[in-house]
Amino acid sequence: MTTTNPHPPMRRRRRGTAAPYVFLTPAVVLYVCFLLIPILYSIFLSFRGLRLVSGGAFGHRQETFIGLGNYATALTDPEFLAGFRRLAIYGIIAVPLTLGLALLFALLLDLGAARAKRFSRTAIFIPYAVPGVVASLMWGFMYLPVTSPFSYITEKLGWGTIPFLENPEIFSSVANIAIWSGVGFNMIILYTSLRGIPTDILDSALMDGANEWQIAARIKIPLVAPALVLTGLFALIGTLQVYGEPTTLRPMTNAITQTWVPLMTIYRDAFIRDNLSLAAASSVVLALGTLVVSVVLLRLTQKRAFGED
Amino acid sequence: MRSKAIAAVGVAAVGALALAACTGGGSSGGASSGGATAAGPITLNYWAWGTAQDGMVAAWNKSHPDIQVKRTDAGGGTDSSTKLLTATRAGNAPDTALVEFQTVPAMIVANVATDITKYVGDAKGSFTNSVWSLVTFNSAIYGVPQDVGPMAFIYNKDRLDKLGVSLPTTWAEFATAAKKVHAADPSTYLSTFNTSEFGFFAGMAQEAGAKWWSVDGTTWTVQIDGPESIAVANYWQDLLDSGAIKAEDLLTPQWNQELNNGKILSWPSALWAPGVIYGVAPKMAGQWAMAPLPQWTPGNSAVAYQGGSAVVVTTSSKHPKEAAAFAAWINSSQEGAGVQLSTGQYPASKLGQESATKSAPPLLMPQQTDYWQLGSKIAANTIPSISWGPDVNVASSAFQDAMAKAVANRTPLRDALTEVQKVVVADMKKTGFTVAN
Repeated sequence: MTTTNPHPPMRRRRRGTAAPYVFLTPAVVLYVCFLLIPILYSIFLSFRGLRLVSGGAFGHRQETFIGLGNYATALTDPEFLAGFRRLAIYGIIAVPLTLGLALLFALLLDLGAARAKRFSRTAIFIPYAVPGVVASLMWGFMYLPVTSPFSYITEKLGWGTIPFLENPEIFSSVANIAIWSGVGFNMIILYTSLRGIPTDILDSALMDGANEWQIAARIKIPLVAPALVLTGLFALIGTLQVYGEPTTLRPMTNAITQTWVPLMTIYRDAFIRDNLSLAAASSVVLALGTLVVSVVLLRLTQKRAFGED
Repeated sequence: MRSKAIAAVGVAAVGALALAACTGGGSSGGASSGGATAAGPITLNYWAWGTAQDGMVAAWNKSHPDIQVKRTDAGGGTDSSTKLLTATRAGNAPDTALVEFQTVPAMIVANVATDITKYVGDAKGSFTNSVWSLVTFNSAIYGVPQDVGPMAFIYNKDRLDKLGVSLPTTWAEFATAAKKVHAADPSTYLSTFNTSEFGFFAGMAQEAGAKWWSVDGTTWTVQIDGPESIAVANYWQDLLDSGAIKAEDLLTPQWNQELNNGKILSWPSALWAPGVIYGVAPKMAGQWAMAPLPQWTPGNSAVAYQGGSAVVVTTSSKHPKEAAAFAAWINSSQEGAGVQLSTGQYPASKLGQESATKSAPPLLMPQQTDYWQLGSKIAANTIPSISWGPDVNVASSAFQDAMAKAVANRTPLRDALTEVQKVVVADMKKTGFTVAN
């Protein structure tokens, strides 16, 4: 629709200023100091290990180069791998429920007929504002048979205590904390995305006689697919890095071991077993795994969600 | 223009804040002793846990104005030794630190504790031979003992009497008593089995005659799943299976509440336990008492230690002579012993133990006026030469994992012990130690 002008007006070149670089410098400095250098140092550490240097029964250990030894240990450690299996169970419970509930609440809030929207938005979002450790402690006390209000009710009804903190219910108990905290944040993202849908599409659908269910399923959800993929990716990465909830609940139950999830194994190796190099290697393995999962997820959803070929 | 000026000021402010945060954080670490100018005093850093520490440090500071000590609480035994390892590697460990006896070999091997034989030779006379051997390795001294924890039995005498159960003197009697208590009141247990109490389990195994680590020249032998230890595991297995004892972690909110309600009736541990129980159940003062730990063989009386700690001088210290003098003084002087006793620590020094017999009993059991006499009798009869290996932290974490898993999955506890043995031997071999098995 635009006519091409064979002689576009000369654009005056801007004189190069240092302003962009000055503004970038703090971010770059922080990135290099707190992200790049530690990552490179971890990778360096992962190829080293503590070995006995001087002889004797009480000789000293020193850091030396040991090649891929740590990676071999990390990849064949049954505890580390078992942690991933537990993550899978936890993820299957936590991720669909978090995103499903977030989508449901976002769709409900988007309905024209919804009442008390501001209150509901705030109420659903507040759990996200509670710090992770505080939330885990609070839920922990709600799970402990001695202090649990739920067990109190079931005991009075004669059904005994609810085994929140035993295998296998522990998975849903831990997942519940994450779902409770995460729904609010994801709901806000999806709700904002829903608000961005042009109203004429919705109006024409209503005129065609669609009811709210059909509008939601056929129009709204496909149009927020990019936001869904985004929140799904964050939820997946968050699942792979679960640490706070199991660690805080650990003193309250025997069902959570010191190596329940991979990050707990890494912490144990680094600080309790004094094996920083093995922990560095395990961290690199975990990071690479997260990267692979993210790339696979994005590739799979690229066509459908983002409409690119 | 105005917006540019505002933007520039904003960036400068954020930058200044970030820099201030960075430098502010860095100076709070425990850096090595402040430099001594010709006229000024030397400041030493001391990491220690427990209520006795402030009093002992204050007594030293008063009598030694030229060497001042600053104390930091770096967490309990496990936490602070973990921090010592990383702090040493970062080069900012304190001059001295309190370390549990079982962790001292690991500290030597990690190059945290330094050899102080030439500084503390004359402190040797203040301790019995068996206590002094806890800090002697390859004829070199690596620390000064502060307190010892001879194992003893702390129990809720009132409730036990009410239930009509007599005090057990052997582990067989303990098992019968446990079953009787639970039968009399299904919500009450004589004691709990704690999967994270590595020190207690080791003590019970040592009482049965096990030697988990022993060294002969340069070769280590590891026997964590020897027959005596397996017998201990089977003993607790039977009690757990019968339901008379339940598996629960110590000092959690749930455990504390059950203790206060009289649902947990004893804590087999050591002489320092009354202080801990008093901390979580002060209203129970007068209801608890202390007795010798049950024995495996009737008539025996030797017990092992559980816990107990020594003050080590670190390799990062720039004033090892002064630090060693501090360690020796607080642990063998009259003032130091006085503070220890008033806060419930059982002193390792001969002087302290003698003074103990004249002190008031712990706050938890004011009615037991012969507490310290009984305590010193128990302390005089401990199993000689208990030796710990260079990777006790690995063993402890493997023990906690394996035991928790065994209890959660209801697999035999003795298999958990075998698992611990495997992990410990593999770790020692990988580090480069010569292990016999």
